[in-house]
Amino acid sequence: MKLYDQLIKFVEQKLGPIAGKLGAQRHITALRDGFLVAMPFIIVGSFILIFANPPFAADTTNAFGRAWLDFVAAHRPTIVMPWTMSMGIMSLFITMGVAYSLAKSYKMDGIGAAALSAMSFLLIAAPEKGWALPLNHFAGTGIFTAILAAYFSVELTRILKKYNITIRMPEQVPPAIAASFALLVPVLAIFLTLYPLSLFVQTNFGMQIPEAVMAVFKPLVSASNSLPAILGAILLSQLLWFAGIHGANIVVGILSPIFLANIGANAAAYAAGETVPNLFTQPFWDFYIFIGGAGATLALVFLMSFSKATHLRSVGRMSFLPGVFQINEPVMFGAPVVMNPTLFVPFVLAPVMNAIIAYFAVNTGIVDKAIAVTPWTAPALIGAAWGAGWAFKASILTAFLLVLDVLVYLPFFKAYEKQLLAQENASLSGTTQAEKTGQPVTA
Amino acid sequence: MKKIFLCCSAGMSTSMLVKKMEQAAAGRGLDVEIAAVAMSGFDEAIEAYDVCLLGPQVKFKLADFQAQAAQLNKKVEAIEPMAYGMMNGEKVLDQALSLLEA
Repeated sequence: MKLYDQLIKFVEQKLGPIAGKLGAQRHITALRDGFLVAMPFIIVGSFILIFANPPFAADTTNAFGRAWLDFVAAHRPTIVMPWTMSMGIMSLFITMGVAYSLAKSYKMDGIGAAALSAMSFLLIAAPEKGWALPLNHFAGTGIFTAILAAYFSVELTRILKKYNITIRMPEQVPPAIAASFALLVPVLAIFLTLYPLSLFVQTNFGMQIPEAVMAVFKPLVSASNSLPAILGAILLSQLLWFAGIHGANIVVGILSPIFLANIGANAAAYAAGETVPNLFTQPFWDFYIFIGGAGATLALVFLMSFSKATHLRSVGRMSFLPGVFQINEPVMFGAPVVMNPTLFVPFVLAPVMNAIIAYFAVNTGIVDKAIAVTPWTAPALIGAAWGAGWAFKASILTAFLLVLDVLVYLPFFKAYEKQLLAQENASLSGTTQAEKTGQPVTA
Repeated sequence: MKKIFLCCSAGMSTSMLVKKMEQAAAGRGLDVEIAAVAMSGFDEAIEAYDVCLLGPQVKFKLADFQAQAAQLNKKVEAIEPMAYGMMNGEKVLDQALSLLEA
């Protein structure tokens, strides 16, 4: 118990405030919000990729599967094109989204910042060749460059503005027209900074900036696929949630570039018919580890729905449908799980166990690696299969983990139920006593 | 008409509470508009609405949001965790109304 008290004190006094600051920090907020801009393109785009790769063996005798395979074989480039122009160029949407959000947080012009950032990204990531833009860094390998281009172009614009380095118009010029000249200096400044840098990297290292950036981030990305890193991210998210802070909002906010770089590489490999490389992706996080939301609480909600304790039963039933769609605030604050010492152990243990089992299931190839991005609100059983290109083995893994989660939560849930039943009985007998003596009953 | 908005990470869980608050308001015959907004939509929402209540799980944004709202002479407060978890529309509506009166 002493250890628990110390841990809670640490989370409340140290970790919580740091996470709060991170969660409110403008560059991290912009990162998260910027990714939201790209999400619809990525989700629908990756759907196309699945369509282009029918879940049937090449020699299938199933008539439907055969027709599908033949159709895809005949029209593959036509079918894949929408994927290329959505998920395949996701870094472009990301750089614009991040720049827009960051500029807005500084109360600067959002659309101007987005356009400038797009130009900066194109300048360093896709130097024109034969009157066409090479797309090889528009997907997963360009993500970190896209983010840096957004940060750099917005900060540069802000600093130029701050020191009043701008083209000054005579006072007679209407303000709207003067504002339209506001971006002239920043555009020039990008030409004078990023372009020489790009040329320098090309001539000295024989690579484009995105390749250099990827080389820098590579250790981080490969570490992300390791079990200790995954467990670390889970523990951080869980401890924050236990203190009532939206842990995933902060942890996933920071993880999202890695998630997208990983899934981008997976999708590209899948499209090319190569081995899918990365394990740690958003579907892995949402639909194996956090079934029903942070703490894998769907199992707990299920147990609560049949509880003898009125409070648990009503919160459980109310939380069930949201839980199916991966939303668990009602159970977190209603049960409550937040700051509830009785439920602390399963709340941390269940997702950790899920991660370890899923890690081995995916690594040994029993279950496929994810190749598609899904909405995080997809029901876990469906989302798991969706992410893995409609491989229903993934759903079976999720169902198996869900059953194990129920077993992990069961003893602790029983103990908590007992506490609540004792309270409910006490207040019930209190009521009857009050009725007998004619005292007013207070709730 | 009074305009209230609730704000959380993605505006998902608060949208459930909005429904309960609307029911509570209808029961009392109150003319209010209530909406759920994601954190990223706060800037625009605070201009259009009279008051904001924040999901307890994103309380780390409270100080920021309060400062921003104060410039418009509006108030932001976090929802009491248990009322949030129980999706207690009556209680949260009371909280919003008391902020509007104060």
